[in-house]
Amino acid sequence: MGAPVPWWRHRRLLPWLVQGVAGLGLLVLTAAVVTNLVRNLSHAGMLLSWRWLGTPAGFDLGESLIPFDASKPYWLALVSGLLNTLRVVAAGLVGSTLVGTAVGVASFSSNILLQRLARLYVALIRNSPLLMQLLFWYFIVFLSLPADQAAIQLPGLVLCRSGLYLIQPHLHLGQWQAHLQLSIEFMALFTGLVIYSGAFIAEVVRGGIASVPQGQWEAARALGLKPPQILRTIVLPQALRVIVPGLNNQYISLAKNSSLALACGYSDLYSVAETSLNQTGRAVEVVLLVLGSYLLIDLLISALMNGLNAFVQIKER
Amino acid sequence: MTLAERPALISVRDVHKWYANGHHVLRGVDLDVAQAEVVVIMGPSGSGKSTLLRTFNGLEEIQQGRIVIDGIELSDDLRQIDAVRREVGMVFQQFNLFPHLTVLDNLVLAPVLVRGRHKDAVRQQALELLERVGIHEQAHKFPGQLSGGQQQRVAIARSLCMEPRILLFDEPTSALDPEMVQEVLQVMQGLARGGMTMVVVTHELRFARQVADRVVLMADGMVVEVAPPEQFFTSPQHPRSQQFLSQIS
Amino acid sequence: MTALWRALRRGLFANPLDGLITIALLLLLGHGIRALVHWAVHQAQWTVIKANSTLLALGRYPEPDRWRLWLVLALLCSASGLSWGLLRGPGWPRPDRISATALSLLAGLLPLALDLEPRVRWSWLALAALLLIWRWAVGHCRPALPPWLLRCWPLIWPLVYLLGMALIAGCPGLKPVPPTLWGGLLLTLVEACFAWLMCFPLGVLLALCRRSDLPLLRWGAVVYIELIRGAPLITLLFLGQNMLGFVLPGGLSPDRVWRAAWVLTLFAAAYVAEAVRAGLASVPRGQIEAARALGLNPLQTQARVVLPQALKVALPSLVGQFITLFQDTTLLSLIGLMDLLGTARSVLANPQFLGRNAEVYLVLAVLFWSCCTALALGSRALERRLRHEPSATQP
Repeated sequence: MGAPVPWWRHRRLLPWLVQGVAGLGLLVLTAAVVTNLVRNLSHAGMLLSWRWLGTPAGFDLGESLIPFDASKPYWLALVSGLLNTLRVVAAGLVGSTLVGTAVGVASFSSNILLQRLARLYVALIRNSPLLMQLLFWYFIVFLSLPADQAAIQLPGLVLCRSGLYLIQPHLHLGQWQAHLQLSIEFMALFTGLVIYSGAFIAEVVRGGIASVPQGQWEAARALGLKPPQILRTIVLPQALRVIVPGLNNQYISLAKNSSLALACGYSDLYSVAETSLNQTGRAVEVVLLVLGSYLLIDLLISALMNGLNAFVQIKER
Repeated sequence: MTLAERPALISVRDVHKWYANGHHVLRGVDLDVAQAEVVVIMGPSGSGKSTLLRTFNGLEEIQQGRIVIDGIELSDDLRQIDAVRREVGMVFQQFNLFPHLTVLDNLVLAPVLVRGRHKDAVRQQALELLERVGIHEQAHKFPGQLSGGQQQRVAIARSLCMEPRILLFDEPTSALDPEMVQEVLQVMQGLARGGMTMVVVTHELRFARQVADRVVLMADGMVVEVAPPEQFFTSPQHPRSQQFLSQIS
Repeated sequence: MTALWRALRRGLFANPLDGLITIALLLLLGHGIRALVHWAVHQAQWTVIKANSTLLALGRYPEPDRWRLWLVLALLCSASGLSWGLLRGPGWPRPDRISATALSLLAGLLPLALDLEPRVRWSWLALAALLLIWRWAVGHCRPALPPWLLRCWPLIWPLVYLLGMALIAGCPGLKPVPPTLWGGLLLTLVEACFAWLMCFPLGVLLALCRRSDLPLLRWGAVVYIELIRGAPLITLLFLGQNMLGFVLPGGLSPDRVWRAAWVLTLFAAAYVAEAVRAGLASVPRGQIEAARALGLNPLQTQARVVLPQALKVALPSLVGQFITLFQDTTLLSLIGLMDLLGTARSVLANPQFLGRNAEVYLVLAVLFWSCCTALALGSRALERRLRHEPSATQP
């Protein structure tokens, strides 16, 4: 096909050369980083090893689902932290969905006051940093609760400075006890996450409902259905098709935001990891474990939401 | 010099193209287009006519065969491809005007960037071209403010601003409302009379009858019949041509 | 009057349930607002703010060098006024008049409320006046300005940033002020501006790689973006603070402020990349074909045809990202940096101001909320303006 084409003008070769150069650059960079890392780590006597996970942690956790104390090994502490994270994330997902859906639906209410309040809530929450909101809930609301003696008592639950007591709360030697006890730290983190994510989920829900064509509302009204019925039976199922993918992002955000538990004194995975790292200096291993865990949680949520997405789509066909 | 004796501006020899999924879209196409000739390519959808057109300026690659445009062979050489694109203009079915630039800026962009010409000279030429296609007053509007027919005429002017030797038209009127088709065809007719070498893929029979020097029928990736329009439309030789004409007439 | 009463009745008391909801909400709201006002006026002690306003604003920036910060503020006000004027043009529509009045009132009354010195109070008023004068002057002259100026004005911000950083940090001719002395709002703004400016080109580059045909570039970009998006910011900040010492060649140890700034940048770049990618995907393929057919090379095609259209579409998401980035700077307090929130917490640790959480956090919350809301409103105005420029083709 004519004279050979020089490599710098060759349509097929040039892209591969560009990639080759980029790849080489990346390789050189990675090699430099890794060499430095290995060299500095071996200088500090800290080459990659996992044996330190078996040594006693030397610190206590504020709360733990599994029995834990300072003599237990690091890996148990990290597992406990992970369980704490999963606990607050699971509860947070449920809570924020409920709050978000309620507020999202309320922004279509016929009651103007309710509508405006819903929009105000979203506008207030979305433009304030989450960390500040968590500090607010922990330091200003939950730490100001009355002490055990003057606890707020409602049918079935007791709320005071030492925690929330559900399911048969009773006093025992001046201290409250119950079958289900939730610490103030958990409550503060939970409330903060739910209120924050709830605002974003409200926007997703609102966008989803708004995406249903006006004709659907009109046809339903012509059939004689009332607005709440229309919403429940006709609009919401169609809106779900748009809402579920948006929820995926918000859920992953919530899972990542739970890492701010440090501000509330809650012993989640990140705060345990931070303490471990500060004590052992094992930066690489701890960071790998933490990042890996959060990535796994994200993948889990995405997988669940993809399943839900398929379910929601199939329902329509 | 008769049409047959003029040197070929476009020379296509035994061109084959396969898509990534294995579909053999061009199966051994041979074609010559002489200077100042107007060739109309017709055929059923999927026949490969648009694909063939797009190989002429390197928008589609070929796996086998040879394409020579104005003495420059289309190969893997980027410099040759750029040289070909400077000489070959293209008008698309969807106009593809740049929506964020005014009509005038649409015309001025390429000559300044590609040919390195001076902005004011290009601007002057652009205004003259716009007058030629009848869009002079809209020079400072944005494409979104124009009708489909006006946009396509701007697209033609934009290609002309690069002073090409060949103009390719890929179904230029298929996306237009019927009342705007004529204004675009008239511009194309004017260009043909002015001696522009044109290769047009279209379904417009009257245009082919009036303006084309030759009509090429393509089907299933092959050239089925090549003939002057009077012969093609009154007495087509190949059974496939007869089938095609009976379907669209 | 009756029309209003009818509208209210329809909106609030259309049926018994609505009426009940309205009454319940009004009672709750009334009670809440009354409690808040009572607390704010009678129980709260606002001296904590007055006593620490300089610390919260500047950190421990040395006193004799503070004139440099005033210069930076003057630069910022001029640039803001300029941008505002260029966006609006001549005349003062109602939203602008409201903003201008609010700004003047703020500049006049806030320093008064904070018990600042008269010299400082007048400086604030002068700054507000500077901003409004630029706004008026540029808006007035906008029709007469050459078009290339109107296209290039965003470049003024990187310039202001560079000048500002030279003034804050010190440069040949000015005494250097180490980052450890920067604190409060100053540090927050420095971090946010650095991340804003740097994450944008990085994000665009990543987005272009993400859509590239070359597998190495595309998968490299995918891996980077997905890894960053899956990680909580605090873990990455932590990583930056701790691992950087191990990763860089021995001896090289950038200040914690810059480590955090780079982490914020690299974090935001992934999200910017996703926003720009959506914009790039919205540009029809025909645009690229037309540009290539005209003879433009790939670089010219991207720069002159694709990116302008893509960025217009991506603008709302981009501004959202910037707002989120500004809020994310609060996380710096968790890794020990003295940004606005970190300084606030250190103030609260002072035994003299123990227990004044509510006052301090409320002021900070109002500050953040106002900035973010102002940015959001500005972005919507920008969006509206871009939409009025007719640009969509109708094939």
